Amino acid sequence: MTALPEWLRPGARPSGGVSPRPAAHRLLRRTLGAMGRSLALLVREDDGPNAGALRAADPRAKLLAAVGLIVVATFLRGMLPLAVCLGLTLALSVAARVPGRRLLPVLIAVPLASAALMLPATLNVVSGGSPLLVLWRTAGGALGPWRLPEIVAITGDGLLVAGRMVLRTTACAALALLLAATTRPQQLLGGLRSLGVPQAFVMVLAMAERYLAVLLRSAQELHLARLARSVAAIGVRREEAWAAAGVGAVFRRTRALADEVTLAMVSRGFTGEVRLLRPARWQRKDWLLMAVAAAVGAALLILDRRLA
Amino acid sequence: MHIPDGYLGPQTYLPAWAVMAPLWSWASARLKRTLSVRRLPMMALAAAFAFVVMMFNVPLPGGTSGHAVGSVLVAVLLGPWAAVVAVSLALAVQALLFGDGGITALAANCFTMAVVMPFAGWWTYRLLAGASSAASRRRYAAAAAGGYVGVNVAALATGALLGIQPLIARDPSGRPLYCPFGLSVAVPAMAVSHLLVVGFVEAAVTALALAYLTRTEPGLTLAAAAQEPTSRALKRFALAVAVLALLSPLGLVLAARFGGGTAWGEWSADRLSKLVGYLPSGFQRLSSLWRAPLPGYGPLAAQGASTTVQAVWYAISAVVGVGAVAAVVLVLRRLFTRRERDDRAA
Amino acid sequence: MSGPSGETVFAVEGVRFAYPGQPPCLDGVSFEVRGGERLALVGANGSGKSTLLHLLDGLYFPGEGRVAYLGRPLTEDALEETPFGPRFRQEVGFLFQSSDAQLFCPMVEDELAFGPLQMGWTQDEVLRRIEDTLALLEISRLRGRSPAGLSAGEKKRVALASLLVLSPSVLLLDEPTAGLDPRSQSLLLEILEALHARGLTLVTATHDLTLLPHLADRVIVLSEEHRLVADGAPERVLADTDLLLAVNLIHAHSHRHGRLVHSHPHQHVVAHEHVHDHGHTHED
Ligand SMILES: Nc1ncnc2c1ncn2[C@@H]1O[C@H](COP(=O)(O)OP(=O)(O)OP(=O)(O)O)[C@@H](O)[C@H]1O
Ligand SMILES: [Mg+2]
Repeated sequence: MTALPEWLRPGARPSGGVSPRPAAHRLLRRTLGAMGRSLALLVREDDGPNAGALRAADPRAKLLAAVGLIVVATFLRGMLPLAVCLGLTLALSVAARVPGRRLLPVLIAVPLASAALMLPATLNVVSGGSPLLVLWRTAGGALGPWRLPEIVAITGDGLLVAGRMVLRTTACAALALLLAATTRPQQLLGGLRSLGVPQAFVMVLAMAERYLAVLLRSAQELHLARLARSVAAIGVRREEAWAAAGVGAVFRRTRALADEVTLAMVSRGFTGEVRLLRPARWQRKDWLLMAVAAAVGAALLILDRRLA
Repeated sequence: MHIPDGYLGPQTYLPAWAVMAPLWSWASARLKRTLSVRRLPMMALAAAFAFVVMMFNVPLPGGTSGHAVGSVLVAVLLGPWAAVVAVSLALAVQALLFGDGGITALAANCFTMAVVMPFAGWWTYRLLAGASSAASRRRYAAAAAGGYVGVNVAALATGALLGIQPLIARDPSGRPLYCPFGLSVAVPAMAVSHLLVVGFVEAAVTALALAYLTRTEPGLTLAAAAQEPTSRALKRFALAVAVLALLSPLGLVLAARFGGGTAWGEWSADRLSKLVGYLPSGFQRLSSLWRAPLPGYGPLAAQGASTTVQAVWYAISAVVGVGAVAAVVLVLRRLFTRRERDDRAA
Repeated sequence: MSGPSGETVFAVEGVRFAYPGQPPCLDGVSFEVRGGERLALVGANGSGKSTLLHLLDGLYFPGEGRVAYLGRPLTEDALEETPFGPRFRQEVGFLFQSSDAQLFCPMVEDELAFGPLQMGWTQDEVLRRIEDTLALLEISRLRGRSPAGLSAGEKKRVALASLLVLSPSVLLLDEPTAGLDPRSQSLLLEILEALHARGLTLVTATHDLTLLPHLADRVIVLSEEHRLVADGAPERVLADTDLLLAVNLIHAHSHRHGRLVHSHPHQHVVAHEHVHDHGHTHED
């Protein structure tokens, strides 16, 4: 029988010492939350039969359509075409059953953040234009290096500029989400492969995606272990040192894995040239999807030019 | 520092793709030479690593927290060209597979975070670290400085990309189409937050992670321990900076001549001539708020002037700015060297 | 194929190997593996089993001594030659101890396709083989899944499938049963049995003594000094308690229950608590 140390028994603790202050675990929990969400996205499996039609569509077609529409959105200038673009995307997202917990953040956070950033742009001092609502009259003059404007006011031009930015960023974000939420990462990689992207690049991207899950799990374990053991707040400097040690540990795992993966690839005959499975042929519904996307894009652009 | 879709116009993001394409293929060709069969797994794992680094939240004094970009750390550990590929891939995974957006802006983001940042950081690190031993205080300090400089230069580049938007893309009535804030707002906004806060997070993570790894992994061979002599690194640094400084006004001129004011494909002769008129007035309105020695890029006198004159001023500002940065780096280097000598003497 | 059974598949002669900057972790090891044989490699944690398998698979190369496959020395140059290199890679499959390192593709299907495509086989042939292999290992439902989301046991099976799809004639297995539930374990043993009957040569590294009689006809033992200390039939090796004690494969305490080896190893697992190092299965 191995002799256990005398103090290794339930309830034994040294006398004296200071009772620790409860730790601020908010940051740890937040990081863990973000890691968990990323992991969940990476290892997401098929969502069952009632997952909406877009999910079954060919990933290449979806990828081309979504990227094409995002590019179109960056060319649009009118509020109306942009609003139509956003509206269509949202309608499609609902039809494709993009889960609310993914859609809502985009619908709320992106416009809010964008609007907050664009608040100053509504003012005459940034966007110019004739004042609609005067906020502040100053005496003008100069303050140090600044030359003060006579008035600070919200202008029609400013509202238009800000509104356009909010609509456009939201539409682009919603399109990117629609693509990502209806296509598993693995399928998207397959889609890239068949679009003439070099196979080596697709392979690296795929492996990055694959090992991201592994490294994220390591990082998650580090954070969980930290959460489980820490009783007291340890101060910013030690907190930073801990994070850096965590980064270092993840790097060690990175290098070990890279070496081992190389061996595993060589063992199965890899000599440096990448060969991947040939993707499935284009089908009629894939062409259809592309055609619809192209038509919508063209219509939006024409509408935009007409209104301009 | 992550620019989402919609903030940059096609006049900016398309050239960014054109700049990045050869850089990517160059970087991967270089890695092929040095890593051969190991190249694919190493790049993939480094990309995954770069992504995970961004997920570590580091607390800051005052109750807030931030995260490091990690490009400089990757550059210090694996070399700047590996960082170009790894960080680009990490950004691509984020934009495409996670649906975080930034698809059109991907190349621009890669330019700032996967090219400008690792190279600026790595050169700083190389210059300051010199031939110091792997586990020396000087090397860690050099890594910290590399992180700080790298993230700040990248932030500056991001600010510049955003800031030129109102100069090069306006609708027919002169309203900015994309990011509406000019250089005089975007650059200081990015610079201040990074100089005061984010830079320190990057510095701390870069230096502490390097220190941790050197301590726990004695066999760690640093990419930076490459045999490249410091003077050559210095020359390359100077050359790159000079090229960048000279190119930037060129971009401004080109943008003003051919892109400014309208979306693409609608230029006509009279509009083109009008454009040149737009630009200075818009520029002046923005710059009227800020008349600090340089960030306005040239004294006010120049701002009503033609694009060419502005471009010249821009170039002068760039050269002066670059000179200031170089001076700071050189002074730091001097100090570091002296400190180390003292350390040794002690 | 590796010729008629009984031919020498691997010849290991006086091999010494050290990781850079470390003391040797294989010291003067010599043995032969014959065609159609089932050989088990046992030793305590860190005795060098995995390293030895890497040498047999031509992934590491010995500092001293030599390893030969079918009479040809395994060197870096030899493996770069065609047809020897590709043929060796197709004929010899290596199941890594860590499935995470072995499964590097985004989908199970791609994982199985990787080896055959490297060999330059046609897409149709590759797809047909993938189908058969998935069915054999009862993992057809995993075809479109990402390896990242699989359980440890599922990963092991996919890894094995990615080897079998190449129709190898030699399998090097590093801890194949670690982390498998009893059912998966017996499925694996059944498959290995069937492969053996087909004439495959199996080399298995393990420290699970209870499975030895099922896995091997012959056992070689590596000591903690990284030398080969025994070579013989499983029954003989397992009966030699002094030897097993000396190489730290069993703990003195385990003896109190009497005979260590008997014919019902499955009950044995509960009866004795051997030293199993679970820290070495990096399954996720
Ligand atoms: N990549 C490596 N670099 C350096 N040392 C290593 C490496 N892999 C293994 N070693 C060392 O070599 C020795 C033998 O390791 P090996 O993995 O071959 O043992 P093993 O018998 O397979 O152990 P286990 O039963 O735990 O799997 C150990 O001391 C280990 O620390
Ligand atoms: Mg082992």
